[in-house]
Amino acid sequence: MKITFNKRDPVYVQVVQHFKEQIVSGKYELGQEIPSRRELANQLKINPNTAQRAYKEMEEAGLIFTEGNNPSRITKDEQVLRDLRTELIEGAVDRLIAAVEPVNIPIDELIGLIQEKYEEQRRGQV
Amino acid sequence: MIEVKNVTKKFGRKKVLQGVSFTANKGEITCLIGVNGVGKTTILNGIVNLTPMSSGEILIDGEKLTKETYEKVAFIPDAITMLPHMRIEEAMQFMQDFYNSWNNERAEELLQFFKLKKEDRISSLSKGNVAKANLLLGLALDVDYLLMDEPFSGIDIFSREQIADVFTSHLVEDRGVIITTHEINDIEHIIDKVVLLDDGIVFKEFETEEMREVEGKSVVDVMREVYRG
Repeated sequence: MKITFNKRDPVYVQVVQHFKEQIVSGKYELGQEIPSRRELANQLKINPNTAQRAYKEMEEAGLIFTEGNNPSRITKDEQVLRDLRTELIEGAVDRLIAAVEPVNIPIDELIGLIQEKYEEQRRGQV
Repeated sequence: MIEVKNVTKKFGRKKVLQGVSFTANKGEITCLIGVNGVGKTTILNGIVNLTPMSSGEILIDGEKLTKETYEKVAFIPDAITMLPHMRIEEAMQFMQDFYNSWNNERAEELLQFFKLKKEDRISSLSKGNVAKANLLLGLALDVDYLLMDEPFSGIDIFSREQIADVFTSHLVEDRGVIITTHEINDIEHIIDKVVLLDDGIVFKEFETEEMREVEGKSVVDVMREVYRG
């Protein structure tokens, strides 16, 4: 696990975002055990306080849960997963729209371009 | 908590510190930043009373420094204080002889972490490895607070990374750390708090995550505003 952090967003926010992506992409399965706070700090080379903060945020958002003294796990709630997926996709689309807005591109052209590039990239990955 | 309260220091007529106040919490990494000559090292020296301050007060967990405090606070200077002909294991023995808080188990762990050989003589080590051996001698003390003077200066990037990794490990966790530096890039992500010094005063004191969250600024952004603005 390796994240390249940017310097202007809070590190804990970037860690949470990373987890969301891992959950939505299926790299973390529902109910899967996740590293302890200390292990996470070590793996990501971040301050243990930051790891703690990220886990607290995720716990409050229902993305992870901890039962007693056991290791924390990814939520088992499929609704949370669906909401998360919607959140990430809409966020990405919002950013795309904001980015192309100044260019004033017609919607059909944009959609055609997205389809073309997306398929190209998918082929590239296989 | 280490509290530095309105501390001043004069060397002859030269006022090096002109009323410095800040706090450093246990379990957090506090970074004193400033260009050369602003008094960073003098402050660390003041906390462990190697240099008496001209006025002001320094409290560690609410108490003034006593002989016993030296078992609670470790100062790691920017250059190793052991004799060059000593082997690392001899330097470790030396520390064990003088400090009750010496933790040999942790020292062994640090040897592995830094990939140092204890039979090596300090004089034969590279600069980066001398810096690591120096840190080892301080980090192996079971103390609540660690003061590190310029742990990153003048060493290669991989040694710097290795040293930075210590801060994210259990070897430092839960202790209070104050480090001085003017090279912030390697450690922006791992520090909790920044104290910016200039001309013998504290220009700004802030929490790094809060600064990123509220103002969207990196530590370097803030430094640029303060030092060049």
